Amino acid sequence: MMSSRMTTRRTLLKAGAAGTALVVAGRAGFNSSLAQLPTLEKKDSYVVGFAQTDSANPWRLAETASMKQQFEEELGWTLIATDANADTAKQLADLDSIIAQQPDIIIFPPRESQALAPKVLEIRDAGIPVILIDRDVDHSIAVPGEDYITFIGSDFVDQGRRAAEWLAQATGGTAKIIQLEGTTGADPAIDRKTGFEDYIAGTFKGTPTADGAYPGMEIIASQSGNFTRDEGRQVMETLLQANPDVTAVYAHNDEMAIGAIAALEAAGRTPGEDVILVSIDGQNNALDAIVEGKLGATVESSPFFGPISYETMMRFVDGEEIEPWVKVEDRFFDINNAAEFQGQQF
Amino acid sequence: MSSVTSQLSSRSLSLTDLVRKSSQTERALFALIVLSLYNAFFTTNFLTVATLRVNLTQVATIVIVAVGMTFVIGSGGIDLSVGALMAISGALAPKIFTSQWGPLSNEWIGIPLAIVIPVLVAGAFGYFNGYLITKFSIQPIIATLVLFLGGRGIAKALSDGNLVEFNTPHFSYIGRGRPLGVPVQVILMIVIVIVAVWALRSTTFGRYVLAIGGNERAAELAGVPVTRVKRQIYVLCGLLAGLAGLIVVAINTSSDPYQVGDGMELDAIAAVAVGGTPLTGGHATVAGTVIGAFFIHQVRYTLISHGVPDGTTRMVIAAAILVAVLLQRPKAGWR
Repeated sequence: MMSSRMTTRRTLLKAGAAGTALVVAGRAGFNSSLAQLPTLEKKDSYVVGFAQTDSANPWRLAETASMKQQFEEELGWTLIATDANADTAKQLADLDSIIAQQPDIIIFPPRESQALAPKVLEIRDAGIPVILIDRDVDHSIAVPGEDYITFIGSDFVDQGRRAAEWLAQATGGTAKIIQLEGTTGADPAIDRKTGFEDYIAGTFKGTPTADGAYPGMEIIASQSGNFTRDEGRQVMETLLQANPDVTAVYAHNDEMAIGAIAALEAAGRTPGEDVILVSIDGQNNALDAIVEGKLGATVESSPFFGPISYETMMRFVDGEEIEPWVKVEDRFFDINNAAEFQGQQF
Repeated sequence: MSSVTSQLSSRSLSLTDLVRKSSQTERALFALIVLSLYNAFFTTNFLTVATLRVNLTQVATIVIVAVGMTFVIGSGGIDLSVGALMAISGALAPKIFTSQWGPLSNEWIGIPLAIVIPVLVAGAFGYFNGYLITKFSIQPIIATLVLFLGGRGIAKALSDGNLVEFNTPHFSYIGRGRPLGVPVQVILMIVIVIVAVWALRSTTFGRYVLAIGGNERAAELAGVPVTRVKRQIYVLCGLLAGLAGLIVVAINTSSDPYQVGDGMELDAIAAVAVGGTPLTGGHATVAGTVIGAFFIHQVRYTLISHGVPDGTTRMVIAAAILVAVLLQRPKAGWR
């Protein structure tokens, strides 16, 4: 599920300083005469281009629905929407056809950070400002604030931290944890692992946390469940045999958490009582599991990009300086509020 | 050259001799026993009923699909479409039992139909494979590639590309039920294996399959109804894949057209190859396939429970398959 929307932000950041010379050369190759961010004048109604990567999962569908809701239904503007069916070449072609229709702005999640970066420059040269959502492009080719307005997306490291924080509270700081990781190498998987493990060790993004370390919280096993329910379940079944003393599960997404619940039940455990679970995504079925008492909590990874895209765009119109990464404010769901949002997620 | 080789082998350990003389199935069984012994000593709680149950439930779908694949490969063919057929059957079932249409809304009608129809549909797609292969003389690897690629598209269309969730305990029984403590899919696996062993050994159909795999032209001249038997083989493989798809969906109480049966064709072919059925056809062993499936599954189980990363696990399984296939080469196998 999540695997289809992995960003490669990490690789880009790493490319950083060492590759500067290359970067300059690379950028020079792409940059034509006007290397300037296009502007957007103030008017009543805009035409917005939106090039979705695919509609293969509820998350993507919710993202598209949120864009349509915001720009078409709420504002009554024109939204030129395309769907690349998980095909990078098609997304490039989709963007060409959107450019040809001369919209005021283009908002899209680039399917691949390398392949779509030159296209961002091309759109800039066509005089159309761009906002990237949920995935970013290679910063060695295209730079936020210069070539495109900004990147809007969740902070996956913080999602991991919030899951750990809740689990530390829920277990009183003592837990034997099985971690079900996302697809190996995918950014959400790497960041969610880092955020969780660092918080337990008493740090967050390199600085000590106010809560300090939790020596009583121990990760006894950690394996990839590939972000899917079936693999999450099978890996949990296996790990459960080798680690019967487990008291908590941290899953990098809801689907794997639901798989883990099935595995625990099949082994005669009571999820929510003798094993506490926490995960990330905030899907409808996770909220149901929270209400049933099986899942402890889930950190939202919001697909609702419509409102925040609109807000960011209007700030740009007003001439505000936009930060290079606009962070999505993800909500948090546990037994206190899950019932309230049941059925409203994705 | 040959004298040097024979000199070397006569001087070397008798173990080498043993490996050379043993059948591939015996080697696979030996490897499985060694792996089980390792687990008995070094994997926590391996020798428990609960672990046995987990292993049996996880291996059941691989075995069921691999049994069908054994017939296909025994006849000299291959079927790449099994994973996609699982996805089709898995996508179709919830369509039927969640339907509000007249008689289907009755559980007593809806659920049996939700089991029978998807399996039959998968069988029909199997017939399509067989039809392409026999009618147009298309290579099986190409003919079944059609549904390998297109079948998942059909599954996506059936579910509008969405993960479909359901809460239908009576349907989930085929993946979660445990009459007398034995999981339903394990019972299905055992029944299917017994019938398959009998069918391959003692029926005309079984002999036809191997005759076709051994020498199709000769079989035809000897009066074997090659076209009909080949189509039956792919129907059988499709039916079993369809059943496996239902089991996966039932355990997970959800059907994800992208995930159900993903990679199953490789697991099934690997189980058949490791178990000692030559990929050239003409000879087949269902018992070997069962051993092969258990071996591949237990390699994965062992690596996961010892915390070996996912990527490494895949490489180790690939290496195990490579060794098995190398050993399979006639005569030249092991020196």
